[in-house]
Amino acid sequence: MRGRMRTVLILVIALYLTACGVNNVVIEGSFPTPNINKLPLNVAVLYGSALTEFAYIEYSETGSEEYNIASGQSHIELFSTVLPAMFDGVVVVESIAEAQALGVDAIFEPIIEEFQLALPTKTKLDVYEIWIKYNMRLMTADGDYIADWVLTSYGKTPSESLRSVEAAINAAAIVALRDLASSFSLSFSKVPEVKDWLNTL
Amino acid sequence: MKNFLRTNRLGIALLLLVSLASCTTTTIDEFRQGETGIENNESVVILGRRQASDYETRAEFVECVGEGMNRGENPISIVPEQEFIDAMFPWFEPRTAPLRTRDLERLMTEAVVSQKMTEFGVRYIVWLDGFTETTDRSGSISCAVGPGGGGCFGFGSWEDDANFNARVWDVGSLTNVGTISTDATGQSYLPAFIIPIPLLARVEANACSRLAIQLKDFVNGS
Repeated sequence: MRGRMRTVLILVIALYLTACGVNNVVIEGSFPTPNINKLPLNVAVLYGSALTEFAYIEYSETGSEEYNIASGQSHIELFSTVLPAMFDGVVVVESIAEAQALGVDAIFEPIIEEFQLALPTKTKLDVYEIWIKYNMRLMTADGDYIADWVLTSYGKTPSESLRSVEAAINAAAIVALRDLASSFSLSFSKVPEVKDWLNTL
Repeated sequence: MKNFLRTNRLGIALLLLVSLASCTTTTIDEFRQGETGIENNESVVILGRRQASDYETRAEFVECVGEGMNRGENPISIVPEQEFIDAMFPWFEPRTAPLRTRDLERLMTEAVVSQKMTEFGVRYIVWLDGFTETTDRSGSISCAVGPGGGGCFGFGSWEDDANFNARVWDVGSLTNVGTISTDATGQSYLPAFIIPIPLLARVEANACSRLAIQLKDFVNGS
């Protein structure tokens, strides 16, 4: 009897904790390789901890933490697929000094500046939406400025009755990441400063 | 006769409700702008439009139309939507996909795109755009659970309206060869007497099957 009471008590406490806690969403998905012409460049990629450990917290209307969305690793996976399709050589470095030692043509550093989530419960629309604003930085091997531009990506997915909120957030984030991949890969050489730099090579 | 009615009252009531629930009206409108026809080695890709801000064409509906075109007499080879979009990445994403045939013409100048299009054997691209909307919700159902059991009582009803249009692009001539629109409406009911019995109008399913048949005939040139 006492054992059964203990089990019920544990279940009630667990339920209580689940109801109050923040919902963690780790963005997971796969990305196709872009079909584009490669640029004859050797590029070092610098992923700062602000990107690799990036997490966004969505607050409820009462101000409590509702969703914790970790998308750092999915961004690394995305760039690991996209960059080798864009450049002849891609190497991940820990610092600018490491890139200098490797004698690369340029150093690329992506940074997430802003992340926004729109839930159907708040917007009254039947879609989950995600906006991400990036700051893309391209430097010479010495760390000198080549270009610094802003890129935004957007993803949405319709709300479905048999899908969890977490799954819908993940789906919208994957659409946003694909949007980033498509606009970044197609617009890279059209960024005025990048275009000017490419002409000097 | 009286005995028959008395003993089968529940069955008759259910039959009436089912027949009411299956009341779906579907209207198909076809506008042809060019000659069509397809060879055995050619295929069709059906893509959903996802540019609108407040809705997007569901992948399940796109898949349903594809399956319908691939079935029955004179089936048409369909390239799965996601397989095509992934293979064409990043040219057919919501922000980069061609909106007009002029954009497709420009896109086909990219060697990678035209090569992939040839590999898939795509003769027609069908752009599906639309959604199903639920309106006129009425009635209420309340459920209760007690120590002796539980149950629901009440009645609810709503109307579904599926509105889709399909634009057909000829990849060979890089022109829009026609548009087919479908509009299906139907009333669904949810009576609850201890247990809720959903009597759903298969609005989207009807829109899908009718559109698939019409598209198949259109592409075959009949």
